[in-house]
Amino acid sequence: MENKLYGYVGKIARINLSEQTVESIPTSRYVPKYIGGRSVCNKIFWDEVRPGTKAFDPENKLIYMTGPTTATGIPTGGRTVFTGISPNSWPEQYTWSGIGGWFGAELKFAGYDGFILEGKAEEPTYLYIEDDKINFLPAAPLWGMLVHPAQKKLEEIHGKGVKSIVIGPAGENLMRNATITTSNDNVAAKGGFGAVLGSKNLKAITIRGTGAVYPADIKKLFELRKKMGEPYMRPSPVIREEIHGMDQNTIPVEGGWLRGQVACSHGCNQHCCRLMMNMKSAFSDERINQVEKCVGIFAYGFQQDCSWTPIMSFETEQNHFLPCKMLSMEMPEIDMSDPYMPQLFEKVPGDTVNYWKPDFDKGSVMMDMCNEYGIDKWDVIVWFMTWLSMAKKEGLLDDLDFGMEVDVENEEFVRYFLDMITYRKGKYGPIFAEGMARAIRTLGKEKFGDTIYKGRFSQVIPGKRLDIPVSLETAWGHSYHWQGRGFEGSIPKAGWIATSLELMTSTRDCQTVEHHHQKFEEYLQFREDPCHSPVLVEGVIMNQNKAELKDSVTSCEWQSPDLFWPEMEAEAFTAATGIPMTEGELDEAAERSRLLFRAILMRNFGRDRDMEVNAVFPTMQYPDPWGETVTWEDWNDLVDLYYEKRGWDIRTGWPTRKTFERFGLKEVADELESAGKLPVPVVQPDNVTKIDKMRN
Amino acid sequence: MEEKNTRTYGNHIVQYSPDYSFCAGCTSCEVVCTLTRDGLVSPCHNRIFVDRDNRSMIHTVFACQQCADHPCYVACPKKDEAMKIDENNIVYIVEEACIGCSLCAKACVFTPTRINMVKSADKAKRKAKKCDLCRTRPEGPACVEWCPVRCIGLSDKSTATPLPKEVK
Repeated sequence: MENKLYGYVGKIARINLSEQTVESIPTSRYVPKYIGGRSVCNKIFWDEVRPGTKAFDPENKLIYMTGPTTATGIPTGGRTVFTGISPNSWPEQYTWSGIGGWFGAELKFAGYDGFILEGKAEEPTYLYIEDDKINFLPAAPLWGMLVHPAQKKLEEIHGKGVKSIVIGPAGENLMRNATITTSNDNVAAKGGFGAVLGSKNLKAITIRGTGAVYPADIKKLFELRKKMGEPYMRPSPVIREEIHGMDQNTIPVEGGWLRGQVACSHGCNQHCCRLMMNMKSAFSDERINQVEKCVGIFAYGFQQDCSWTPIMSFETEQNHFLPCKMLSMEMPEIDMSDPYMPQLFEKVPGDTVNYWKPDFDKGSVMMDMCNEYGIDKWDVIVWFMTWLSMAKKEGLLDDLDFGMEVDVENEEFVRYFLDMITYRKGKYGPIFAEGMARAIRTLGKEKFGDTIYKGRFSQVIPGKRLDIPVSLETAWGHSYHWQGRGFEGSIPKAGWIATSLELMTSTRDCQTVEHHHQKFEEYLQFREDPCHSPVLVEGVIMNQNKAELKDSVTSCEWQSPDLFWPEMEAEAFTAATGIPMTEGELDEAAERSRLLFRAILMRNFGRDRDMEVNAVFPTMQYPDPWGETVTWEDWNDLVDLYYEKRGWDIRTGWPTRKTFERFGLKEVADELESAGKLPVPVVQPDNVTKIDKMRN
Repeated sequence: MEEKNTRTYGNHIVQYSPDYSFCAGCTSCEVVCTLTRDGLVSPCHNRIFVDRDNRSMIHTVFACQQCADHPCYVACPKKDEAMKIDENNIVYIVEEACIGCSLCAKACVFTPTRINMVKSADKAKRKAKKCDLCRTRPEGPACVEWCPVRCIGLSDKSTATPLPKEVK
């Protein structure tokens, strides 16, 4: 028994699609130093992928990892992660994309903690993993299929109970925001990794595992099941709703619609996803059920942006809860004795944007097409469609002949447009299949990206028109998300300063996993002058490190961070693996993973201070709902504070040797030094750091 | 439902109507079953099954119906040693004696079978896994106790409640 492996199952498969070979790598090569999940992926990518590699090159490696809690029964452990060079990032960079479902657990039952996909199959291929045997099979029967039919076909071929990930036509056609999708419509979306699978001629991976995963401490595990996320433990009936949406997006639905709540991943004690029943399908007369997460609500109607309440980001011990409980409408009762209660729940209305009127069926069709084609819904709802709406209203599309009149309120046009870009039809299909960031630049960014839309109005300052560009691009080829403008823009300056700093040091919209949380009392300390606050910087670093752990241990965006139970991830890790781990030690592991991510960006993609400040700063020059922006000086002061706190050189944004070595990454520092990318630390003349000065 | 009208069953695990509680498909019941009974998580050890419909997301939970005439017990070549009947007429498996022949699983009148089989290259590790309502557990069936949405419970009748047509 003493040799039994807990949490992990012990091996990672290196799958070479060009050679059709499989090599088994011991997971112990990477853990516990690199924890699991994204942290292991970072290490593998650092070791194996050279600078100059592009997203669609066979040399790009798509790395998939579970975490030590996956398939142990620890809630949220079913979340897993892909990493690789993202075709959807602008410019192409290394990124990650989380995914739930049952695939990761099944992989562990088959005996693998993860896999590395490398090379490119000669012909369309899919993988069938049956316990430790990995088979390369021709994908001819699957190629061209929509997502759900492909999932079903794999069950027909290999039997019910197999767990699969597939790409749809968008991935096959190298659409840069193509998803990888599980059978329950969980997606790895933000990286565009569906297109990387397509570039490797890999349609699907399907698994049947019959083995077991052994958690180390079952008593503790049950304690965690009882405590994590405060599980509902009450009946959750199917509910007939009379309306859909909220605020100006509200739609009365004739006859009502049925809502259920479903879980996203294996063994979780939450049911965060909304199931919309008997909805209109884009592909058949038969009604379908659709899984919806938060952004999906806007497919149905988008006249007003999402409203915000401070409790979504800033919390007290008396009043804090998982954000997913707002979608499932299962929030705990408000603790009225909380002195901050009125402020915590004060609703800030979203801007009026008038993108499209509510239309229940059209929204359903849009969702279904995204699901079946395998396209990132976020990009479609928040970027493609909003751009079409705004660009048309500003008269920018008069000279562009799509072959059909642009009208985002017309279901037929939505179908036509999504079909056009997925299958790269006509003159504009191939342009938009490259994703909005690239399409805008092909068309001409000044006109098609930066023209101001005159239809955005603040509801904080009623009647005030606010400038916003027709393309809701923020940084790294992604659209705004909790950044004070664009989608979910009603967060005040102190909030969007924090989220923008998180974005600046990332390679994608990171708010799906680094959604900023901080204690309300801390927020009160920095809300007047966020750019000069060590408290805000520490909050950003905490959120970033916790995000690293979410994708490594694993946990999820809805579960973590719990500001009032910071040891949660360490307790979960130890319960799964039996390896003692304190919160501090796990935070060090997160910092190490983050440093590796930084090192990859520096070595492979030329990341430095100039690059990232210039990527994020311009998009903060459009006003937030209060008319606020940030000055160049203030932003750079904040960046100084952040770099200093991280132990990075403030001139270059590169971590110092001392910082790398502090976290056991001497060899990384050595390699960066050889590449001329290790800064020489500059000591402040008075030996007092900026952050010390701010604190004093 | 697969049960034959002529059969009678003992108290067993049932899935409630979605009007009462809708199965979230989380498979916590399967996971908790194997954690409680076997100290692990595995798709070959669970004694309760979530038949996931990944298109409709309407999932069906099933477990042993505790047939009154217990055909699994009848088929067992090591009955009263590997498979026994307790004072409540519940058939349970004594794993140390089970030889993993799977005759009990094949004898189950339901499709798919309500008896799981541990798969292993090592014949000695092949065992049958059947719901016995956690007969020795003071709190009762672990799956019922830990279902986060309370969509399963013990029957007070001998048939499961069918899903309403509307959400099928």
